[in-house]
Formats: sequence, C-alpha cells, structure tokens
Amino acid sequence: MPKVYDAIVVGSGMTGGWAAKELSEAGLATLVLEAGRMVTLSDYVEHVPPWQVRFRGLDDHRTRSATQPIQKECYACDEWSSKFFVNDHENPYTTPEDKPFLFLRGRQVGGRSIMWGRQVYRWSDLDFEANLRDGIAIDWPIRYKDIEPWYDHVERFIGISGEKLGLPQLPDGQFLKPMDLNCGEVVVRDAVAKHWPGERVVTIGRCAILTEDHLGRAACHYCGYCERGCVTRSYFNSINATLPVAQATGKMTLRPHSVVHSLIYDNKRNRVAGVRVIDGVTKHAIEFRARVVFLCASTLESARILLNSKTREFPAGLANSSGELGHNLMDHIMGGGANGKINAPADRNDFGRRPNGIYVPRFRNLSGGPKSKFLRGYGFQGGAGREGWGRGSDLPGFGADWKHALRDPGQWGFGFYGFGECLPNHDNYVEIDPHTVDAWGIPALRINCAYSENEKALMQDASIAAAEMLAAAGAWDISPYVELNPPGKAIHEMGTARMGRDPKTSVLNAHNQAHDIPNLFVTDGACMASSANQNPSITYMALTARACAHAVDLMKRREI
Amino acid sequence: MDRRAALRLLAAGAAAGTIPNELAALGRTLHERLGHGMRVLDPHQDATIIALTDTILPATDTPGAKAARVNEFIDLLLAEWVEADDRTTFLTGLAGVDTRAHEMFGKDFVDGTPRDQATLLTALDDEAARWKEMPGDKRGPEPFYRRLKWVTLFGYFTSQVGAEQEEHYLIIPGRYDPCAPIPTSKRPE
Repeated sequence: MPKVYDAIVVGSGMTGGWAAKELSEAGLATLVLEAGRMVTLSDYVEHVPPWQVRFRGLDDHRTRSATQPIQKECYACDEWSSKFFVNDHENPYTTPEDKPFLFLRGRQVGGRSIMWGRQVYRWSDLDFEANLRDGIAIDWPIRYKDIEPWYDHVERFIGISGEKLGLPQLPDGQFLKPMDLNCGEVVVRDAVAKHWPGERVVTIGRCAILTEDHLGRAACHYCGYCERGCVTRSYFNSINATLPVAQATGKMTLRPHSVVHSLIYDNKRNRVAGVRVIDGVTKHAIEFRARVVFLCASTLESARILLNSKTREFPAGLANSSGELGHNLMDHIMGGGANGKINAPADRNDFGRRPNGIYVPRFRNLSGGPKSKFLRGYGFQGGAGREGWGRGSDLPGFGADWKHALRDPGQWGFGFYGFGECLPNHDNYVEIDPHTVDAWGIPALRINCAYSENEKALMQDASIAAAEMLAAAGAWDISPYVELNPPGKAIHEMGTARMGRDPKTSVLNAHNQAHDIPNLFVTDGACMASSANQNPSITYMALTARACAHAVDLMKRREI
Repeated sequence: MDRRAALRLLAAGAAAGTIPNELAALGRTLHERLGHGMRVLDPHQDATIIALTDTILPATDTPGAKAARVNEFIDLLLAEWVEADDRTTFLTGLAGVDTRAHEMFGKDFVDGTPRDQATLLTALDDEAARWKEMPGDKRGPEPFYRRLKWVTLFGYFTSQVGAEQEEHYLIIPGRYDPCAPIPTSKRPE
C-alpha cells in the first residue's frame, strides 16, 4: 500500500504556505507539492548592486524576450528577479486575439509570495455585501465577522505595518508601527485632509514588512528591493515565514518539481483520493494519496487542475456540477492616475529605500454616501520622491560644476496610481485549450477575459480624482492618465471557483470546501465571489487558515 | 534592527554562502576579460569615448568616468545589448565628433586641448538641448551626444566607483528617515 498522507497541499506560495503551516501544526502528515524548484535564502539577490549584474539593471533583454516575453511585462521580472518567473515556452496558454491576458507567475517553492507587492488591506462588509446589494453574480456566503478573527490570526503571524484609521470600508488590523510618510507625502496628505475631510485619506501603505523584530524575523533594513528576496526575512513570504514553521513540526513533507496533472477521484466514496503528478525533472507520472486535498496552486492553476480532472461523474471538470468552474475570472483594473510636481521642503529628502508607498482607501460609493455613475470603487497607491542623477540627461551642461549640481536631489514629484474593482462576469472564463500542452504534457489554459465599461469608468474617474488631489496640494505640471493595461497585469487574478451558498451557482461553500466533493478545498484566489479593490493576498491567506481549521475539525469528527 | 545588526546577520549569511558569490565572481571575470581590450571599440574609438565621457563627468573630489571605466560598459552594451543598427548609428555618431573636431580645431577630438574639447562639447550640449525642445514630429533622430550623455551618467552611477564615491550609495541604509536634511548646495565628503 502506498503511503496515505493526511493532507496534500498543491502549491507552496502565499496560500499553500499557510495551508502547510496550519495543517501540519494541527498534527496532520502533510505533503506539499510544488511544481517548481527549491528556493532558499541563498537564492536571494537583494543586496547585489547594479555593478555586479551584467547589464547593471538594463536587463539581458535578448534572453528575456526569447524565454519570458510575457513575464517581462511585470516590473519585478528584471535582471535580478527574472529567475523567479516562469519560462513562457514551458508554460504556454492561449487567448483570443482580441482579448489579451497577462498570466504572470512564479513556479518555485514560495511561488509568487517571493515577488509579491506586499500590500495588505482587509475587506469590509462594503465588499462582502456588494454583489447582493447590486444584484450582480451571487452573494458571498460569508461576512466580515466570519473572517475577522482569521485576519487577526494571519496578521499576527505575518507582521503588518500600518496606520489605524478607523474607517468602516477598510478595517484596521493587527498592526506593527507604521512606516513614515516622507515630507513630500505629508504635504499631499495634509492638503487632501483639508479639502476632503472625512472623505479622502492619504495614509502610509499597510504592508507585510516588519518595522520591528517579530517572531524571530528581523525588522526591515530599507535596502528597498523586496522582490529580490530578503535574507533578514523582514517581509512576508512563505519561505521566510510559514514553510519554516511547517517544517519545524516534523509533519510536513515538501516535494519540489512536482507538477500536478490532475486529481484522482474515488466515485464509490465521492472523495478525492489523491493527485497525479508529473515529476518536473524526470517527467515520470507518480501518484500521491491523502485524506484531504487543498488546492493552493493559484487562481488559474487550481482551475486548470480541476478542469483537467474530468470523470464520468464530472465531465466538465471535477467538482463542477454548477458549471461555474473556470468562470467569473477577475483581476484589478489598474492604471488610472496622475503625476505632478509638488512644493515640498527643498532642503530635505528621504533617506533609505522604503519598500512601500502611500495608500488612499476607497472613497466612491460608500455606504450612505453619494452614488457615482459606476458601481464599486478604487484605491490609490503611489508616493512622493525627488529626482536623482537620472535628470542629468536633460540638465544642460557637463563637467565639474554639472557633476556637482547633480549632488543635490531634484524636483519633488508625486504620483497616484489607481486600482479598481472588477465585476464578476460569467463570460470572463478559462477553459482547457485542446491544442496546447505545457512542457510536462499537461493541457494548457485558454483564457477569455476582458474588462467591461464599468471598470474603464472607474479608471477614468480615478485619473480625474488623482489630478484633483494634486491640484489641491498646489501641484503643477499635473498629468492625468489612463493606461490601457490588459487583465492579468495587476496579478490579482481571482474568481474561477467561487464560493457561494448554492451548489447550483457556486463551486465552493462558505468554508472553501467543494460543494460536490467534501474532502476537496480550494483556498487560493479562485474562491473569490467578487474582487473588491483591495490587494487580495491577505484575504486569501485568512480564508486558507479558516478553511484549514474547518477541515481539521471535520477530520477529527471523521466526517471527511 | 540597526544597521550593525543587519551587517552582522549578513556576514553570518555570507559565511553560509547566502550572498551570491557566483555573481561577484562573474563580475570579476567580466572585468578581467574587458581589461584586455574592447570588443567593439577600436583603440581610437575607445580613446575618444574615454575623452568624451571623462569631459562630461570628470574627476573632481571624486573619480570621474574614466576611473569608473564607463568606456568598458559602453563597449559591453555595443557588443551584447544594442541592436546592430543602433550600434552603427552610435559609431557613426562617434565618428561625427571627430568630423566636428576637425572643423573646429583641425584635429581629432582626442588630440584637442581640454579647452578645444570643452568648446566642442558645449556646442553639442546646446544642440541636444534645442533638440529636446523641438516638437517630436519636427525633430530628427536623437543626437549622438544626448545618447552618450545618458549612457555616461548611467554607466558612471551604476559603477561601484560612481555609486559609492560620488552618490554615497548604501546597499543597506539600515533605517528610513522620511525627512532628512540635505545641505543647500554641494554635499560635503
């Protein structure tokens, strides 16, 4: 008899790390399957200066265009961190020609938690009630009170720095001391507070970066390049934090190079019996068995695994009696904003590279407030800074005086960059492309996704609102803009196996458990029934921890 | 954590091999190879690039472009980074500097006096500034000098010499000060 694990977790990133930690801490023999290679602290390159990489940060663009033509669209896929992104030829997907989608991903132990943006914002009932209120898609099966203790639970472990604001639409969390706004940002914050009291707030980003030593991890040393790793483990990712705790229990087995092909279904018991794996190196097929399976492979990969797991009982994909599997794909539309020059202390500049910016919580369509011509809302990230030596290109002159003039920092500038909510839409969906397989012979996805007029209207409004705030702060040379980013670019994709109360219209129940198959859980972004406008990772992690507790409880009661 | 603690931790990491030594080694290998000669620039072109870049960013109380080996970085970009037609454009532009030098003072750029060289660069700098002011659809291709000025800046400030000695770049600042005073004019050493 092959070994039967208590639990299999597919994926070792943001949510897989949490499932590994929670399940192994509960005493379950847990197998974590990761498609990519092992990553350790020795892979981190955040302290490698420009003069130690070949093109000083201009990137090896020939190699990048040849092997990562899609991945290079992400700012973090650069001369240092491109190794944390997949090879696009090994990992193909297709789209209709008129519906571009950027599938940006990392396949390695730690997944995309290594390169994530680290922004952490709770959802509120403004978000959990949104679908019900607007009559769009289906209602969330949970409310803020259901997830609040789990936000507390994950935030206490992760260590989140941020400022408490007492805003109903953006609940405060378990915060370490906030990072500081720089003196340019203070100017804009004060002007916005004066012009829109009680409505618009500029605060420091809430982020998963330690401002104080926390649970054996050191406070940030402000080198500034978190997406390249962190040897002091000051920002949260799964290899810095969750996986070491799981490892320490002695209950976790981590298997890299394990590309999950599909799930094994036992139709007599209506249970998932295990997973089929293609070894990433040998390309041999292997099977692993477990009592419970957690899919934490990412929104698109978890959907792909289920769609590739067709059985007689589930001809449209495992756990897909609703027909919603793969549908309702969302991202955050981003790129409505404005830049300008601001008047801030000329004799001051910030010191250190703060890996965080400002945040403006949603202020449109709040409960009891005025209604906009669009649904939902958006938030801003951004910040202030001064020009450096790069401005020398267009600074007239050369020679000693010109060189020394560049020693002073240049003009203060400020930018607001909007992230807007995407409405769930059944017509945005993924399916298996019958003609495309990846390097391991596994059928690939065809992604059909486009933004609607509502999302575009959000970004139009965001660019105007951003320009208004800059004007209120006395800025000049204000440039409002709306970038046309394809979906996927924000790397907040979600929604392909949504939670809901009704098995006829949703894939997962209120505990991320498949309606159709009780020992199957999906806890990554696939589970989301709407997208809100906040960066989603903390919500995925809280839902994962909550689902783990539920699964452990059911297993103790022998219900699964 | 203060900077000292961070450094201690990093030192411990280095002993365990967590600092990517292979990258540092790559840098050294590259450096040694380039020290034996240029791959694209011939000796005259190389001497001209050194003279130009070191006039743009001369040694003052800190080293200049020559000490930062900006010429080697430019050669690397020409050899491996730019497209073939951009390489041709750049080298044609470089030859054009000698043409202008002959018109202006009857010698190659490298053979001019520092004053000759500065006079020519002043003219090129003015032309680049005028080009920048022209509407995009009216102006011709970017002048060679403007491209050279950018790559000189970039090559200098991303070199160890430029970053550490001129910019006082710290790989590990160790703290964040949101509103630190700066001198009103030249930063002291």
